[in-house]
Amino acid sequence: MMASEMRKSALMAIDEINRSDDFDFAFAAHLRDPGGVVAAYHTACADLIREEHVDHIVGCYTSASRKQVIPIVERTERLLWHPARYEGFESSDNVIYVGAAPNQHVVPLVRHMLDHISGEVFCIGSNYVWTWETNRVVREIVTSAGGRILAERLLELGETAVDHIVREIIDRKPPVVFNTLVGESSYSFMRALHAAATHAGLSIPMLSCSLCEPELKLIGSAASVGCITSSAYFESIEGPENRAFVARWKARHGADSNPSVDGQSTYVCVMLLARAIRRAGSADVAAVRRAAANHRYDSPQGPIWVDPDNNHCFLTPRLARSVPGCQFKIFWEADAPERPDPYLSNLDLTAIGTGTEKSNDAMTKRSNHLRVVK
Amino acid sequence: MTRLSPFSVRGRRALMVMRDEREISIVRRQLNRLGMTIAEHDPAEVPPPDEAVDVVVVDADAIPIKSDLATVWKVGAPIIALIGTETPSRLKWLLDLQPASFLIKPLRSAGLYTALVVAFDSAQRRIDEAAYIERLEDRIRSRRVVLAAVLQIMRGHDLSEADAYTLIRQTAMRHRTTIEQLSAEIIAVGGMPNRTTRTA
Repeated sequence: MMASEMRKSALMAIDEINRSDDFDFAFAAHLRDPGGVVAAYHTACADLIREEHVDHIVGCYTSASRKQVIPIVERTERLLWHPARYEGFESSDNVIYVGAAPNQHVVPLVRHMLDHISGEVFCIGSNYVWTWETNRVVREIVTSAGGRILAERLLELGETAVDHIVREIIDRKPPVVFNTLVGESSYSFMRALHAAATHAGLSIPMLSCSLCEPELKLIGSAASVGCITSSAYFESIEGPENRAFVARWKARHGADSNPSVDGQSTYVCVMLLARAIRRAGSADVAAVRRAAANHRYDSPQGPIWVDPDNNHCFLTPRLARSVPGCQFKIFWEADAPERPDPYLSNLDLTAIGTGTEKSNDAMTKRSNHLRVVK
Repeated sequence: MTRLSPFSVRGRRALMVMRDEREISIVRRQLNRLGMTIAEHDPAEVPPPDEAVDVVVVDADAIPIKSDLATVWKVGAPIIALIGTETPSRLKWLLDLQPASFLIKPLRSAGLYTALVVAFDSAQRRIDEAAYIERLEDRIRSRRVVLAAVLQIMRGHDLSEADAYTLIRQTAMRHRTTIEQLSAEIIAVGGMPNRTTRTA
């Protein structure tokens, strides 16, 4: 599903650029679909560079696919514009990372959990790098704040047999569930847990840093409600850029179609690329990279620009709750775009959490840069 | 002593002993991203005597094998070797340097974080192992003393060797001291010391 959302968004951005008088050039799109087969990304990317002579590649959703592509773009000095949020600990000169870094998605969510829900958390996720690293960050922050991980359950990618874990959760009644499952595993789990919790008369808060609007529809209206989600983009963001983007999206893809964080981010990739080419006066990779640095774009998700220190983006973290109608209601956002920290080297564990030993100063200081969105 | 996790690299100090400008800029950039502080030193010069650093990044190709400078870098801080030439002569030189980790040139942004984590971890393990070995060596040195104390107690209390040792061990535990320490006292006073107060 993500692949088609991202392709739709990239083509939408390309059409807008090609129709616009603001750009004195047009993009020609060369499409390749490795179909999620990891080994095929290397071939597809090599083919785009050697046969089509492309300078800029937009795409890759999973980290496994990105790691296939990076050696080629580094060797041939091309740029990969990567839309998806990811687990961090990477910083290639030949990648522009437009999705959120871990300090922009996981950290705000864990901070909210510790401050407002509980420090005792049940983790469930898909058995791959995204879950492993996200759970490590959760564990580090939670234990530093005096909380604990009640359990860490992993399912193979695509696995939909979730009943044993749902039973365990209903039996143990954890104060909160942290969900890093992806795709069908996540949808099955959320449906099954919702049914079991309703039957048992329980209400167990769930957290996610990857859920998006089109997925809420797939999960179903009842089971998708109430999940606290961290993301740089929600369809419900107020602001003229997003309202206009959503209107254009619906005009192009149908009134009942919804943009997603990864789709929107792919759109932003293409727009950042076009603006950098315009600024550089050429599509040359080195010139475009220089031109993209610190060049602010008022995107649907708000102001965004590339941090030349690490090629990731300044962007605004947000937290929202999924509500009936397959939408998110935003209840918190950072009051300014946050500097990307892909290695979490500026993560200050002493300033996070509800542990009694934490000083009031840290709490006050933190609340200064948080803002409640009504 | 505070024990830093090998994963926490922010604020640690790196000394770069490199010559190639392109590689220097890659390493410098990556160290900056990680929030480390950086000192640089020309590989052709004698290392500064008391450079307080947490890790040294040495370009192995920049230092001649048969030079006085070859081994002076064998300092306390863990060494990350940057390797271009894989000839056995260079690698033998490298082994003498006991690098904590290494990177193969040409460098790219990926890899340095891993090299740092491995270097910090193996440096900590070396410190732990050295301390452990020192404790073991202390105990070996004290064996003669313990043996003498056991003989003393065997004679003084008319006990078997096993019972004498058990008595010393239990007394040491009660006094919250080591068997070696108590044995030294037994020899000094010529019998089981008559303690009324606990010593720490």
